[in-house]
Amino acid sequence: MLPDQLIAISHFYPVLLKGLGITVAVSLIGIIVGGVAGFVLGIGRASRIKPLSVIIGVYTDIFRGTPVLVQLFVVFFILPEAGIELDSFAAGAITLSNIAACFVSEIVASGIRAVPRGQLEAAASSGLSHFQQMRLIVLPQATRMMVPSLVGQFVLLVKDSSVVSAIGLLDLTRSGWVIVQSIPNGLLAFSVIGLGYFAICYPMLYLSRRIEKR
Amino acid sequence: MLLDLNWRVMGETLPLFKAGFLSTLTISAAAFVGALVIGVLACAMSLQTNRLIRGSAVAYIDAIRATPLLAQLYFLYFGLPILGVVMPEIVVGILALSLNSGAYTSEIIRSGIIGIPAGQMEASASSGMTYSQQMRLVILPQALRPMVSPLIGQAIVLVKDSSLLSLISVLELTRAGQTLGTERFMPVEGMLATVIGYLIIYYGLKLTAATWNRLTLAPGSR
Amino acid sequence: MIKFSAVNKWFGANHVLQDINLHVAHGEVVVVCGPSGSGKSTLIRCVNGLEQFQNGSLIVDGTSISDASQLRRLRMELGFVFQQFNLYPHMSALDNVALAPLHVRRLPKAEALARSRAQLERVGLGDKFNALPNQLSGGQQQRVAIARSLCMQPKIMLFDEPTSALDPEMITEVLDVMVQLAKEGMTMIVVTHEMGFARKVADRVVFMDKGQILEVAAPEVFFTNPVNPRAKEFLSKILNH
Repeated sequence: MLPDQLIAISHFYPVLLKGLGITVAVSLIGIIVGGVAGFVLGIGRASRIKPLSVIIGVYTDIFRGTPVLVQLFVVFFILPEAGIELDSFAAGAITLSNIAACFVSEIVASGIRAVPRGQLEAAASSGLSHFQQMRLIVLPQATRMMVPSLVGQFVLLVKDSSVVSAIGLLDLTRSGWVIVQSIPNGLLAFSVIGLGYFAICYPMLYLSRRIEKR
Repeated sequence: MLLDLNWRVMGETLPLFKAGFLSTLTISAAAFVGALVIGVLACAMSLQTNRLIRGSAVAYIDAIRATPLLAQLYFLYFGLPILGVVMPEIVVGILALSLNSGAYTSEIIRSGIIGIPAGQMEASASSGMTYSQQMRLVILPQALRPMVSPLIGQAIVLVKDSSLLSLISVLELTRAGQTLGTERFMPVEGMLATVIGYLIIYYGLKLTAATWNRLTLAPGSR
Repeated sequence: MIKFSAVNKWFGANHVLQDINLHVAHGEVVVVCGPSGSGKSTLIRCVNGLEQFQNGSLIVDGTSISDASQLRRLRMELGFVFQQFNLYPHMSALDNVALAPLHVRRLPKAEALARSRAQLERVGLGDKFNALPNQLSGGQQQRVAIARSLCMQPKIMLFDEPTSALDPEMITEVLDVMVQLAKEGMTMIVVTHEMGFARKVADRVVFMDKGQILEVAAPEVFFTNPVNPRAKEFLSKILNH
């Protein structure tokens, strides 16, 4: 039985490859757009302008406190009610970018807050403007501290991307689901899927552990 | 759009949401306990000198951390019947959540223990204590306090992850919201109630964490 | 009581203890000194088994330290005071001192606490029973650490640079406790730079450098007329502070 099933799975090679491609594509869009947006949001979150910090804080909190699946459903099923129709890939990309931005903004904000106050005082005392302080002193140090967290965030995003299978997008998880409909061996099908994710995520995890140790 | 919400139907479906909300809480609590058990076990194994035991624990943790929960859930949901194991979906779900969270919990426990300076082990060893006395009297009491905050964080993650069980037909908060959309054609009201439900739990847990921090960081406290 | 015979230890390629031969008799106070990296900490940590060695033998109170089955029993008879105190931060001074007698010697709780109070008074901290380590100064913490070791009624007290982590004004209070102990006849090995202490109570001074014992002499001899050139160099640096 097993050898036959293995042969059958190999026929699904194109499906698996497409699934892998979609997973990588949607995750990359998510981390790039989300990373940039999160960086900007993070600066706003760490700013001394109280209302700005609070509004951004509440916004990111809402998305960090609710399941990604629910957010995906809202984007895919609810936005059409307001007239915005999206295909499953776009819905997935938007949801993932948004959640990435919310998590990244907290990482960026803590990185900025972690720069010792004494340095800002020294910088201000020598006449640097607030903007220059940010650009020359705060952001370079904050960015260095953030790198391991950001790599970790990418891994999380790849894993979160699996929820797009719930709206029918043919990602790696969905291709496993498709396979198991034809080859009723869930262990085999999802072991293959697991290996696929492992191949993407493990190197990233290993990398982030190495960076942290330095 | 907000003003068009069908409050009447929302009121009618309240029992469904209550059931879903309680189900989410129960699932999360059960998985949290499961995760603690698995986490302690995996952590103890990862600290052993025996390479096989330590390697198994590390392999388990790495496999969990590098694959999505949904894939793990489907693995169990579609795979267990093949091994002849038939369980209600909710049990499969709690099992998947426990196994997943257990790996992260084990890392939390591990950092709590490793964070204790080596001098504590040396001092307690020097007065002739056994390993278990050292752990019980000196190391664990110190290690537990910093673990509480990250563990509450894990609980928050578990609550959010429990939403995936809706995909294997378990009735919980997300599924309750979906039902309102598919059976009563009110997706907006459904999702709104769902979001509110999760935020209630989220802020409840955050408040717990904040209270704990306030109580334990107060001066003069142990 | 303590006998090192041809003890050798390597840390990888580093020969950290080279052919150590040393005998410490009952009631003796031996001070071990030397530049950093000389192996003096490693030496004293071998005595209670915190470090192992590859060659040679070390007999403590009649038992080989390499006998794993006897290690715990031996440790009950050895007190060890660390440079970093290593007090248990989650317990009061009283509990820190009473912990081992309670759980290792298995004394009844009342007796363990009574002994603990007595030892804390002995080191001059009778008013600090309920203090937490973070509420005590460095000197006070180290005295609690000494009381903690003494409460087990050990036969031998080992001190690994007990005052090196202290602010200067607190060194005296700790040394006074140690001097008193020496006068009461305790067998002690003390790794330290405090030469005043050595002059007062040491029976012998052992000078180590780069893993070897280079000179062993009575304090007056060592301080006024050291034989070994490296010992001379070391002393001139220490005494010209």
